[in-house]
Amino acid sequence: MTIYKPVIGLEIHVELSTKSKMFCQCNADYFGKAPNSNTCPVCLGMPGGLPVPNKKAIEWTVLIGKALNCSINKLSKFDRKHYFYPDLPKGYQISQYDEPIAVNGYLSIKTKGREKKFRVHRVHLEEDTGKLMHSGEDTLIDYNRSSVPLVEIVTEPDFDSAEDVKQFLEELHTIITYLGVSDANMEKGSMRLEPNISVKEVTMEGLPNYKVEVKNINSFNFVKRAIDYEVKRHIDLLEKGQTPPQETRGFNDAKMITYSQRTKENAQDYRYFPEPDIPPLELSDQYLIEIENRLPEMPAEKIKRYEENFGLKYQDAFLITREKGVADYYENVINEMKSNTIVNRDELPQKLANFVINKKVDVNLPFKEFASKAEELLKPKQTDLLLLNKIIEKVISANSKVVYDYKSGKQNAVMFLVGQVMKEMKGQADANTVKEELLKRLL
Amino acid sequence: MKKTVNLSKEDILHLAQLANLKLSEKEVITFQKQLTETLDYVENLNELNIKDITPTNYSTDIKNCTFDDGTVCERMFSQEEALENTNEKKNSYFVVKRIM
Amino acid sequence: MNLLGKSLTQLQSLLKSKEVTPSELTSYFTERSKRYNKDLNAYLTFADKEVSSSRGELAGIPLSIKDNFCTKGVKTTAASKVLENFIPPYDATVVTNLKNAGVSFFGKTNMDAWAHGSSTETSDFGPAKNPWSIERTPGGSSGGSASAVSAYLSPASIGSETAGSIRQPASWCGVIGLKPSYGRVSRYGVVAMGSSLDCPGPITSTVEDAALLLKIIAGKDKYDATTADIPVVDYQSFLQKKNTYTIGITDEYFVGVNNEVKQKVMESISVFERIGHKVKKIKLMAPKYAVSVYTIIQRAEVSSNLGRYTGIRFGKDRSFFGGEAKKRIMLGTYSLSHGYYDAYYKTAQKVRTLIIEDFKRVFNEVDVILSPTTPGTALRLGEFAKYPFFGEVMDILNEPAAVAGIPAISVPCGLDSQGLPVGLQIMGKYFDEKSVLNLAYQFEKETNFFDVIKNGFQNYH
Ligand SMILES: [Mg+2]
Ligand SMILES: [Zn+2]
Repeated sequence: MTIYKPVIGLEIHVELSTKSKMFCQCNADYFGKAPNSNTCPVCLGMPGGLPVPNKKAIEWTVLIGKALNCSINKLSKFDRKHYFYPDLPKGYQISQYDEPIAVNGYLSIKTKGREKKFRVHRVHLEEDTGKLMHSGEDTLIDYNRSSVPLVEIVTEPDFDSAEDVKQFLEELHTIITYLGVSDANMEKGSMRLEPNISVKEVTMEGLPNYKVEVKNINSFNFVKRAIDYEVKRHIDLLEKGQTPPQETRGFNDAKMITYSQRTKENAQDYRYFPEPDIPPLELSDQYLIEIENRLPEMPAEKIKRYEENFGLKYQDAFLITREKGVADYYENVINEMKSNTIVNRDELPQKLANFVINKKVDVNLPFKEFASKAEELLKPKQTDLLLLNKIIEKVISANSKVVYDYKSGKQNAVMFLVGQVMKEMKGQADANTVKEELLKRLL
Repeated sequence: MKKTVNLSKEDILHLAQLANLKLSEKEVITFQKQLTETLDYVENLNELNIKDITPTNYSTDIKNCTFDDGTVCERMFSQEEALENTNEKKNSYFVVKRIM
Repeated sequence: MNLLGKSLTQLQSLLKSKEVTPSELTSYFTERSKRYNKDLNAYLTFADKEVSSSRGELAGIPLSIKDNFCTKGVKTTAASKVLENFIPPYDATVVTNLKNAGVSFFGKTNMDAWAHGSSTETSDFGPAKNPWSIERTPGGSSGGSASAVSAYLSPASIGSETAGSIRQPASWCGVIGLKPSYGRVSRYGVVAMGSSLDCPGPITSTVEDAALLLKIIAGKDKYDATTADIPVVDYQSFLQKKNTYTIGITDEYFVGVNNEVKQKVMESISVFERIGHKVKKIKLMAPKYAVSVYTIIQRAEVSSNLGRYTGIRFGKDRSFFGGEAKKRIMLGTYSLSHGYYDAYYKTAQKVRTLIIEDFKRVFNEVDVILSPTTPGTALRLGEFAKYPFFGEVMDILNEPAAVAGIPAISVPCGLDSQGLPVGLQIMGKYFDEKSVLNLAYQFEKETNFFDVIKNGFQNYH
């Protein structure tokens, strides 16, 4: 039996959350506005409209490039990408072709204890299109979103499993939110995912001679489903001795299947050429250093630090670092408590981590308040010794079998008794004290 | 030496499709001839030595021309202005015949 | 008062001394324009309700403007059926600047559709005519503006160039046409033709008027990233300087030029020598290469720029494009399409580099370059089609400056034996409009352009 191996690459579009659009001063936040109420000569593609790029969008693209370990092209430019579609007002999209802002990066993920590195081919800046709505006989067009800044991230075809893809995308999503450059809201379509998939025999060198692109998916699970569906479809065809046709497919999330949209025969010829309306970008070393300095600690670095400095378990560190807000909060609480806690300092980070992960304490509290509640929960209990000894007597007489076991050498039996006493004490006792008292009594 | 570029009818129709133009039979033939004539003329560029020459993609020396994010928009159209030059509208949307 | 032939600066003083009122001026030009438009077809639209401002350097001055400049609330068609009913909701920056200076626009002038052409015959609304002989074309694409200024239907007009569209019609209509450097004047709000070449500029009856209008329309525009942040000179005051210049002339720009034109230009060159300028022979690349570069780049940009006209948001659908526009879109699409980009577009951009460097080299030796504006005088309507390469060679001497982005002016330098105006072209260094204007002004002071402009007005007294 032939063994097959999927070959998967990704294209990810991230809508930036700048205040203004990419090439004009209209509002980049188009969400929920009356149709066609957020346009100007530029983004509506009026005769005579000219683009001027948004400075912050360029900075943020550099920032994303840096976060993905890319090298930044000091010389970069915009190009026109031509095709006709009703949501594209000018008949071309201003994008970047052969001189994108960032190239040759990577992103690592840790799966099953092993680190895997996936290469990022390029990161470029472009503009979003308007929005289409299909209803009855009509397709309705709203250009409010037209020209909102969009960053496109393209990976190398380094993936061979849908699971890795999903994890990679989740990590990327976390990084984007760390950078604060996009609301990365999947439902609103602020992050749109396009896997390209092919399958080869495991022994084959290089890449298969076809690939299938699945367009515009807006959930990590759907990407996984689309890949699973495609891989199976390709294998079925390959088994029959056929090569799956190179094409672009859509994803139907009701049926969880993909469907053909455009085949190779009518493939697009985008006729790229340098956008004459926008002078090129020349990014100085100083500018690049300034932006690099703005890079926050990345989630992977945080995990490492939490493991090394706090002694956290990988999984706990991972969970705490999924949202930068939560991680920052966690560290704030630690700093707050470190100086004046009576809790064992070495144990504090892990215990606090448990609180945060298990939501034992509300992370919406101001962190000082959280700290004092945590202190309360963690500090050694005041034990009512009189009550304790009464209860110890009670527990011993009710569990004579266990006491017998203990006395005949089963050291562990004492823990059962401690548990029983703690239960009777309704938690109002320090476990160490209980154990001590019990042992004294059992001597 | 001039090399003549011969564009076939299919070539013309393919270009028309890319350019979103519908051409009549007659236009196809006219453009076949005219495009060839133009392409013949511009062949004179091959007389020049352009090895190692950097293309001039921009007509100025300007670099990094940008605007500051959040600059007040002084030219936003009202919904009415955005839609006033078309008859193809419905409920304040532009409208085309359903495409999918 | 007889206003015929008064320059902008003269009208300014008449307005200032209240010898004439803004509304008198507006009706004077509107009425003249409407009366003669039956013959000349120089205008496509009259903006009857436009009022001028009482403030600004040009307060009370009515002007016409080519119909490819967006004018808020006033139909802007670029002479194409596609935009037959298009009413822009905004003003081009040039329009804004002039309005802020007090100008009112009373008319939109005829042009080649989308500015594609050199005769105004590709206009979907009929060709404009040459006031010197109405069987002839005024040239183009700013033919309506040149025609209107030549017949004094407008005291001056704003046109636009991609390569020759101001200078060539100015030459054929016997008036002054200035193409500023690329990036000197904002393109924002101008229906785009060749984005890396387009350049608005004035068409006037005196050099001083050209200097005055340039001062107002030039400068950095936050809405056009290709405008340079270089201070605008007071071109008007600079005219008074008695500078002497080293003038370059080259045989390459006399190849294929008819003898009468050649003779008039040579006579003008001796005028410059007589008034103390130094004339020097130089060598420049043959203009035919600029024609090829221009053709490839312009068609490519046209094919892209006309993509927005789909009839969805404004205008009519793509079936309303005329033959010339379709032809250009097709060629541009071809040259950018897969596998041809390097052979055409990239090659053209490389030769463009050679042309720019060629000018730079020559401008180390000379201050300006003189040549005929066009190889011949105004053609008869319909005659263009007879010439090879669709008559595009009529712009051959304008295309090098366009491709290099340098400023150039055309001024009248006499009439040929048929009584048609001949144009003299002065090209300058990048952003050195002031020298070009200064030298043209000295020529005007010395010759009064052999009364060509003055006599032109008399045809429409
Ligand atoms: Mg993209
Ligand atoms: Zn806008």
